[in-house]
Amino acid sequence: MPASAIVKIIYRIALLALFTTPVMAENFSVQSATINKIGNGFVVNAEMHYPLSARVIEAIENSVPITFSQQLELIKSVPLLGKYWQWKETFWTTELRYELRYHALTQQYVLHSIDTLHRQNFPTLESALNALGQIKNLSLPPEYLVDNENLILNLRTELDLHALPTPMRPGALISSKWQLTSPWVAATWP
Amino acid sequence: MGGSNVALKIIKRLSTGTAPYFSLAILLLLLAYLLSAATQDSSRLNDLFLLIFGVGIACLVLLTTILGRSLFRLYRDFKNKEEGSRLTIRLVSLFVLLILGSTTIVYGFSMHFLHRGINSWFDVKVEQALNDSLELSRAAFGIRMRTLLRQSRLMAGTLNQLPEKEINHSLRELTQLSGALELSIWTMDGQLVISSIENPAIMVPDKPNEAIFRQLEAGEDYIGLDPTDNAILQLRAAVVIPQRSTLAQRRLLHVLFPVDERLSVLGKTVQEAFTDYKELNYLRKPLVTIFTLTLSLIVLLTVLASIWFAIWISRRIVQPLQELSEGTQAVASGNYNQQFTAAGHDEIGFLVRSFNQMTQRLTQARNATQRSHRLLEQQTNYLTTVLGSLSSGVITIDNKNYLRTANVASSDILEINLQQRIESPIAKLANHHHHLQAFTQLLEQQTKHSNNWQQQLELQQQKGQQTLMCHGTSLPNNEGWVVVFDDITTLLQAQRNAAWGEVARRLAHEIKNPLTPIQLSADRLQHKYLPLLPDTESGTLIKLTNTIIQQVEAMKDMVNDFSDYARSPGLELVSSPIGELMREILALYQSNPHHQFTLTTDKDDIKVKIDKNRFRQVLHNLLKNAIEASEEAKIPVNINLTYQAVSQQKGEFLEISISDHGPGIPAEMINTLFEPYITNKAKGTGLGLAIVKKIIEEHGGNVWAKNLKPNGMSIIIQLPLEDKKA
Repeated sequence: MPASAIVKIIYRIALLALFTTPVMAENFSVQSATINKIGNGFVVNAEMHYPLSARVIEAIENSVPITFSQQLELIKSVPLLGKYWQWKETFWTTELRYELRYHALTQQYVLHSIDTLHRQNFPTLESALNALGQIKNLSLPPEYLVDNENLILNLRTELDLHALPTPMRPGALISSKWQLTSPWVAATWP
Repeated sequence: MGGSNVALKIIKRLSTGTAPYFSLAILLLLLAYLLSAATQDSSRLNDLFLLIFGVGIACLVLLTTILGRSLFRLYRDFKNKEEGSRLTIRLVSLFVLLILGSTTIVYGFSMHFLHRGINSWFDVKVEQALNDSLELSRAAFGIRMRTLLRQSRLMAGTLNQLPEKEINHSLRELTQLSGALELSIWTMDGQLVISSIENPAIMVPDKPNEAIFRQLEAGEDYIGLDPTDNAILQLRAAVVIPQRSTLAQRRLLHVLFPVDERLSVLGKTVQEAFTDYKELNYLRKPLVTIFTLTLSLIVLLTVLASIWFAIWISRRIVQPLQELSEGTQAVASGNYNQQFTAAGHDEIGFLVRSFNQMTQRLTQARNATQRSHRLLEQQTNYLTTVLGSLSSGVITIDNKNYLRTANVASSDILEINLQQRIESPIAKLANHHHHLQAFTQLLEQQTKHSNNWQQQLELQQQKGQQTLMCHGTSLPNNEGWVVVFDDITTLLQAQRNAAWGEVARRLAHEIKNPLTPIQLSADRLQHKYLPLLPDTESGTLIKLTNTIIQQVEAMKDMVNDFSDYARSPGLELVSSPIGELMREILALYQSNPHHQFTLTTDKDDIKVKIDKNRFRQVLHNLLKNAIEASEEAKIPVNINLTYQAVSQQKGEFLEISISDHGPGIPAEMINTLFEPYITNKAKGTGLGLAIVKKIIEEHGGNVWAKNLKPNGMSIIIQLPLEDKKA
């Protein structure tokens, strides 16, 4: 590696360490999230959009497993000064983690739920991402929902960069092409 | 406050001496270990790589700053030309060259091996083989897939023929016949119609995913290889069941076939090898980047730390040399009090100790020299004082007749400042002071011989003749001569005066006594024998006796004069205005209309301490002398008198001059004019000027005569003025 390349890399690291990662590519997003009441319990249905950057797609094509994380949190918001200042308390969080990898022999994309060990195969990447983006009838813990006034359910999704192979991790952590975390989106109550 | 003080102390302790260098070295080692650990695949520090790297970069920046400061100080010292800075820079440059050279080589080779090592994992042939095996596997499965697809279509056709009630039974039969794991019929909108599962443990059939539904809806049957949870392969086929009527619901048959176990295991192996290889190949670039970055950071840190250490060690090496250099300069400029603490037992320590010994010895030697010098100085001062207090003049001259030393008395006697003439040839003295010609000639003549000599010498000074008695003694080793001379003029004068005084006293005593009887006898002779003599003879008698009486009278006068000269009553000194006194005396002489006197004076009258009566006699004698001189020469009497204050080296003087326009004094007489019985006049005892001189000398003054041009002479009197305005 020539010296100029090293300098370039150090420069980039310094630059990226200094500034928070700028938004360059299209990020993940939570398209819709609704809470439905089924019987006495509540379930959440959500749709998430995963526009992968070319760098991520390249990694998948090269058989690197990519881990996605879907995060949900229940927040109790107590207004102290109207809507200007609220006391927020997070009392429940959960994370759904999926691993997506390409199976070269079968030419299938395998979506593997790390929590449930459930596996799904998809002939195309789009179909896999579509399936990944669907949260269907995920039940919420009933013990927290007795009094659902001022409760907020936030959802977001991101890439778990720490699950990447070691050599890729530092680069991914500072690269904007890997920073695809969606903003928190509040689910709508019935 | 206390806490911050302690912190400050710790920082101070850590930033002085060798502590910072060793702590830095330990820190760098730790950092290098952490970095290498973080790049390991299975390390807990993995996630901290960026943090550790950031710390490394911070260390780099810190080190660069410190190094920059050190280098700047070095440059500033060099620019200010401080002691030792050149050597320090030379040492540092050498160290830096060594460090950079060796590190560059190690770094270059490391990079080379890193790249080659990582690249050697990959091989085109291996890659091709893997691709081919994958392709082969796919082909192997492809044949089976086509067979199974056909079988599925046949099953779908069979199911189409059967009435709705028998489907359930037929499906079970079909499952057993075909050897499928699972058979299920689904509506096109994803509702399960019926299923048959080989494994009794599985209750719910596997639902084909959305993509399969979409594919079938597009009119294309699906056959695919599916990896399952335990990495065993399955074949999945989905075909549309042909419709019996256009109104009937569209359905699909979904079949899961098992794959031969051996094939499945082989396929799994191929898949895993291919995946690993491809991932590794893909990770090659970031891996190289990370290793390169880590290596570069460690190398950079090491280089900077080494340079810093090099500067420190150079300063440490140069410091004693620098001290020695400064010490040497100090010694060169005469400061011998240089002692340094010897650092270590190496050659530099030995040098410092030797330097200390040298300065000690030098100090001792200098003290001894100073002692002897002081002694010499004391002796010289002693000699100078002795010589200075001598009334005799003492001078030394060297072999080349250059004046070396002269005491104060010598300058006074010769009336020339000899101190200004030191180190100049003796002969040159006479160039500006002609009266010293005889003196210099004498010295030049006598110093040609090596014997000691003694000679009396007459010098023609302005105030008359000066008699010197000179002794010459050669200095040891023929280095020159020491000449001692005394002014014996006054001594000779005193001797002469004493002799004349004795003569005068005797004359007065021996001659004056018989004179009165002679005079009386002559008078009686005239009275007694005049009547007895005839008239013709009486004239002669009268004439003879008168002659006796007159001559005796004249003799009496002369004897009185001698008596006056010999007598020396005490002076009654009174401060008197000299102008007034002179006018008073001139008044007595102005009765004669042929005599002309002029008095030229200062504006102010000058008071001087004199014995008025004696001084009147002086003026009378001088005026009489001048008038007689003019009258004898048959020229009109025209006498100028002046008095004025003059300032000389020895003090203030009143100078009185009395000048006539007579013939002047013959040159041979000018030196002896004031001695008794020296006169050029027909009549006169020759005592007038001798008395003048005597009185003036009694007043502490001086008198001399000089001829005027074109004619005339002048008598000059100098009387000391104690205080001019008194």
